[in-house]
Amino acid sequence: MTALSTLYSVIYQFGDNFAYLVLAALGLAVIFGMMGVINLAHGEFIMCGAYVTIICAKRGIPLPIAMLLGALAAACAGVVIERLVIRHLYDRLFDSVVATWAISLIVQQTMLLVAGPSMEGITTPFGSFVFGEFSFSTYRAVLPVIALGVLGALYWLFFKTNYGVCARATIQNANMAQCLGLRTDRLYTLTFALGAGLAGLTGALYAPTMTAVPTMGTNFIVQAFVSVVVGGANVIAGTTPAAAILAVIQTAMTASYGQLFGQIGLLLTVIVVIRLMPQGLGNLFNRTR
Amino acid sequence: MIQPASGAVSSTPRQRALARLLRLVPWVLAFGVPLVVDANTSGNFAYCLVWAFASVGLAAMWGQGGILSFGQTAFFGLSGYIYGIVTLNLGDGWLSSWSGLIIGLAVSAAVAVLLGYMIFYGKIKGVFIGIVTLSVTLVLETFMAQTAGPQWVVGVARLNGYNGMTGMPPLTLPWFGGAVTLENTSFYYLVLALLALVYALMRRLLDSPFGLALVAIRENPQRAEMLGIDIRRHQLLIFVLGCTLGGLSGALYTIWGSYITPSAMGLTSAAMPVIWVATAGRKSVGAAIVGTAVLVWLSQWLAIYGSQYALILMGAILLFVVLAAPEGLLPCVLDSARWVFTRRLSKSRTFEAQKRSES
Amino acid sequence: MSTTLLETRGLTKRFGGAQVINGIDFQVRKGELRCVIGPNGAGKSTFFKLITGEHRPTQGSIAFLGRDLTHVLPHERIRMGMSIKFQIPGVFPELSVRQHLQLGLHRAKDDSAATLDRLLEQFMLQKEEHMPAGKLSHGKKQWLEIAMAVSLKPVLLFLDEPVAGMSAEETHATGELIMRLRQGGLTIMAVEHDMTFVKQVASRVSVLHGGRLFADGPLEEILARDDVAEIYLGKKK
Repeated sequence: MTALSTLYSVIYQFGDNFAYLVLAALGLAVIFGMMGVINLAHGEFIMCGAYVTIICAKRGIPLPIAMLLGALAAACAGVVIERLVIRHLYDRLFDSVVATWAISLIVQQTMLLVAGPSMEGITTPFGSFVFGEFSFSTYRAVLPVIALGVLGALYWLFFKTNYGVCARATIQNANMAQCLGLRTDRLYTLTFALGAGLAGLTGALYAPTMTAVPTMGTNFIVQAFVSVVVGGANVIAGTTPAAAILAVIQTAMTASYGQLFGQIGLLLTVIVVIRLMPQGLGNLFNRTR
Repeated sequence: MIQPASGAVSSTPRQRALARLLRLVPWVLAFGVPLVVDANTSGNFAYCLVWAFASVGLAAMWGQGGILSFGQTAFFGLSGYIYGIVTLNLGDGWLSSWSGLIIGLAVSAAVAVLLGYMIFYGKIKGVFIGIVTLSVTLVLETFMAQTAGPQWVVGVARLNGYNGMTGMPPLTLPWFGGAVTLENTSFYYLVLALLALVYALMRRLLDSPFGLALVAIRENPQRAEMLGIDIRRHQLLIFVLGCTLGGLSGALYTIWGSYITPSAMGLTSAAMPVIWVATAGRKSVGAAIVGTAVLVWLSQWLAIYGSQYALILMGAILLFVVLAAPEGLLPCVLDSARWVFTRRLSKSRTFEAQKRSES
Repeated sequence: MSTTLLETRGLTKRFGGAQVINGIDFQVRKGELRCVIGPNGAGKSTFFKLITGEHRPTQGSIAFLGRDLTHVLPHERIRMGMSIKFQIPGVFPELSVRQHLQLGLHRAKDDSAATLDRLLEQFMLQKEEHMPAGKLSHGKKQWLEIAMAVSLKPVLLFLDEPVAGMSAEETHATGELIMRLRQGGLTIMAVEHDMTFVKQVASRVSVLHGGRLFADGPLEEILARDDVAEIYLGKKK
């Protein structure tokens, strides 16, 4: 029984890390993979989703709806930021890094002013269950499944809908897409909103598990970046295996040396991967293109 | 800095002499500052200047060489911690403090060589250089943050995790009546003198054929390679130089405040040199120095009088600069000044020509 | 043998399933002005890129001044005495004409003002000495490119479509310029489409077709051949 429960404990840890990495990364991956923009304000979209979810849930709105509202709020914020700032910077990559960092700083500090250093959160739903000598949070055990569900929905969106075809066409050849009548500027706005909304969803999903502070986005940003860099520009075929591999590394390092070394393990992996495969894992799937 | 070819009628010797004189003015003013303010304020100004070395390094790497590194604060922290380790072990004497400084710089340079070799000879390019250097910085920060336990000690110097190291001795100079501590006014002069030296040497380097090759590599690396320029070697050299300057900032900061913590290498700190240099104008070493000093001073002032707004204002300034003046504020200011100057010059020339034809 | 500057043996290049260069044996001797011509898709640019080092050969070898180039990096090849002017002007937009020439002259270890002025005069760029290269006309950019390549004091100069995009007068002036360079002792190899230019300057002509060296010989001989006319114009005389 002990061996089995220890094994499950490892699986649970892996699943927890995997879900965290994937969900943290998806919004960033969409924006980077499809538009080449490195969005350093990614963490703030997550924070937006979390805060809106908490506020709605405390007003009595059922949790799933509150979460959707959180994601939607982040998506709207994404539309605003894209129209005001990002669209001027599509051909200036370094400048988009600096600009999104500035937005991140402004939003964080404004939130600190407006909402205070922390806000009372909501409790984790579903309680916990016991297996062997360990007890696990039911909610966090379910999150990996939800993460896979989001991935599935994203796959459907990119490959089975009209939006997906148009978006992929624009990414691959914007000029040609325009000549075929596609409204590329609208597409970029929609895609950025999608990335922001995914980040908001992540914030919403994790809102019941952490304290709401204005800087909570920074907890996600390292994992997000690591997954996107290792996975490359391919949103689904890159980010997913990257998150899986990184989750293994993080679980192993944390179990052996502690939480902070788990983080170090992730960062070292990034450096190694960039050195060996500058295009990331996703490129392995792209060779036939 | 490589003078951008303006395409305008080349300037007269008088104009060039005037420009050179104008460039000396800030230095003269800076040397005169302690004569009009008290010792404590001089010490504060020294704090603002201490960061300028890292900005000079970044301006050289990024503005001239096209290498955006987020690693300046990694070397900042590295040199700071090395200074702490050396001086806490060797004691308070002048030899101990200067050795701490020199060894701190040497370690930064050595690490920069290794990191740079991995990056440039490993064909890592563009934004990935930024990601790798940022990752290195965060690894260092995370590593130092978990050194809280008593087993994390070098000699007698405990690394102390999040709380960082404190209690290092300042720089001292041996003198006849006893060692002289370099602090407040004397420290200010030391930093200023070092800065002037670094500025002069950097300008000479960037205006030399080496600097010209860096610009060529930045603008069109393939073409530069076909001129026989070894790109990797040039990039490695300027990277090592830039990072070591980051280390110099770190060592001087540690000397000034007598402490160093892992947060000096955190995400926010890592972005600060980029913000300062981007705002001031990355293509000019002089602009980087002035811009950094002003922005650091501004954030200090805001921290006292309106701390909640300090970072919001910094973010807003940065955003404005990126959208409206991507080359930085100083080039914008200089361009408008030049426009006004040449208009007035041509107006006065027309006027003189008219007068001559009349008489 | 000592007068052979560049030699390829059995040079072959495959991309995936496509055999682009097919066993080329090719030589450039000192003092020649060799033009390489051939219809589109004949493999001229790939041949060029194999020599500069941008592509690695699948088979065969390239030797420069008797030394095998297989493991020599592009910038090292330049240091050996090759110099290249690419088809698309790759000038540095913010640097002045003067600074462009300084780049090459410094590598050639001759930083004197006299040499710089002579280069400016030779390439008729005196007036534009301090102008940022981004503002030059297309023709002047091409000349600046050639000037940069020459400033390296090479033994062998490669020109990839030196008169692409030029008017008839500019083409003729460029041709004169290149012949003067040859008179100065430079060996030159040019890849070019423009037959007027080829007739003006070439001493020897090589014809590439389907990745193979179809014909190789003195200018008059090649021009007189029917089969060359056929692959170019698709007709039998």
